[in-house]
Amino acid sequence: MDKPRGLFMRNPDLVPAYLRPGMWGWLLHRVTGLLIVFYLLLHIWVIGRAAVSPQAFDAIMVTLGTPFWRVMEVGLLACVLYHGANGIRIAIVDMFMPHQWAISAQRNAVRWTIIITLILWVPAALYMLIRTFNPAFNLFT
Amino acid sequence: MSTNVRRVKVPRNYETIAWKWMRYSAILLIPLVWIHVLLQDVIVGVHDIDANYVAMRWATRFWQVYDILLLGFAFAHGVNGLRQVLRDYVHNPQVMRIIHVALFVFWLALTIIGAGAIILATQSVLAR
Repeated sequence: MDKPRGLFMRNPDLVPAYLRPGMWGWLLHRVTGLLIVFYLLLHIWVIGRAAVSPQAFDAIMVTLGTPFWRVMEVGLLACVLYHGANGIRIAIVDMFMPHQWAISAQRNAVRWTIIITLILWVPAALYMLIRTFNPAFNLFT
Repeated sequence: MSTNVRRVKVPRNYETIAWKWMRYSAILLIPLVWIHVLLQDVIVGVHDIDANYVAMRWATRFWQVYDILLLGFAFAHGVNGLRQVLRDYVHNPQVMRIIHVALFVFWLALTIIGAGAIILATQSVLAR
């Protein structure tokens, strides 16, 4: 491996190759959390338009219905599912089973968090993508 | 392999209370957010969401309360999370104090806008 430079030179703990699974879990939690907060800011503003004028709201929803934003929405779903699955793990371990913070236990826990995220995300993502390009496809009505 | 858990005395101050509430709200947000996302993004879909749909939902007291709970818990959880992230990188207490005030104003303003929308949007659409 090349010698780490700059940021990694100053913080050897951050070299991706040295990160343990628990740290990847933490990093993903942080990144998805930040993305969700910035989404929430946008979300509250967009929904707020409904109180200003219904026409303004409908105009925004037409934009958000375009394929680009639908694909972004599928990514948002991944963030929400991972952040939720990992968050519930953190809350339960912190409150009821702190011994699970052992590095060896975390390796398994992070693996399971990602598996649960994928099990929830893949079918939903497929369904949303099919509906993006074929709005007539609907399993629920 | 067994790991010993060392018990420590945790002081009761703003930070530890916020820390606990991040856990409580997390457990509450799982059903709130996941049901919300499942309904709006997967089952209904952005295609079919317009002002009439929103007004129809908020004409029901249940969904009004649901969405206000969602707004209250999710956005507070998010802004406190943002504060925790910033606290990891900003080491100047003066700057951190300014960030605290700015985040509080940001959180309060957005919460008022959101709550206002939930309460007023239905009337705005019905008046059309």
